[in-house]
Amino acid sequence: MIPSGQTQPQKTTAKYRSQFRIYVDIMHVIQRENNEAKPTRILYGANLSHDRLIKYLEELKALGVIQETGIDDKIYSLTQKGVEFMNNFRKVESFASAFGFNI
Amino acid sequence: MEFIAFVIAIAVAYQALKGYRLSKERTLLYLNLSFVLIGAGLLVDGLSNLIVLLARGQRGSLFVFSLGYTINFLAQLLAYGLLVFAYLYQTRSMGTTIALAAVPVMFVERNAFTELILVFLLVYVATQTAMNYSVNKNVNAFLVFGAFASLAIAHVFFLLYTLIPIFFPLAHIAQLFGFLLLLAMLLRVNQPV
Repeated sequence: MIPSGQTQPQKTTAKYRSQFRIYVDIMHVIQRENNEAKPTRILYGANLSHDRLIKYLEELKALGVIQETGIDDKIYSLTQKGVEFMNNFRKVESFASAFGFNI
Repeated sequence: MEFIAFVIAIAVAYQALKGYRLSKERTLLYLNLSFVLIGAGLLVDGLSNLIVLLARGQRGSLFVFSLGYTINFLAQLLAYGLLVFAYLYQTRSMGTTIALAAVPVMFVERNAFTELILVFLLVYVATQTAMNYSVNKNVNAFLVFGAFASLAIAHVFFLLYTLIPIFFPLAHIAQLFGFLLLLAMLLRVNQPV
């Protein structure tokens, strides 16, 4: 399953996203784009730099939760495992949010 | 009533554990431990009441009753202390966290003063969940707030029952109602997407 990381300590008022949260944000953007997202859409949607986006997309592919199609115009979509993960994540997020906890 | 509440508490603990495994978010681990403690306390209390009921008049039944009551009380004190810790942990106010986390271990026996501390802890948790509801305005947040408000009321009734016996059944009804609200939240959260 997707490795989770703790949010880094806050040094300023800015909040740092954990690696886990970035994975979820990327997968959320892909899902929002009807499960066919171009890298540019993910880049803006998940608010990432190009280098970091490529790194995270490779990691998510290695985890088997997203897949890449197309040669010139790359398209990313969630695999069945990715869809199941997002369904579970939504339930957990809804549960935590009911208690006022952020994940 | 204790056994129904026990099953619901364990279901909430299981959901929190699932969330912790997925996200590794520590607040969910604290929530899990808290509801495991609540469930364990309720189970011990329920079993001790059952033993007393079955062995009516037998020597030692009063000891079993008070032992179950004390274990349940201490488990709840630790559990709600842990929940307060979780809310404070989230806001990272560690000084207060350490001070409040130490409160539950300072008392080993049930009395009116320690029951008041339990009420205080529950009122704190209910206030946090009320603030969460005022921000989120969703039904699940309202159900959690309602649950902790009911549990706080139940413990006020437990406190009053030492003076007026009618508050004893009312306390149990309020406690059960609180757990039923948590069950409703769990069912809503686990609805198929």
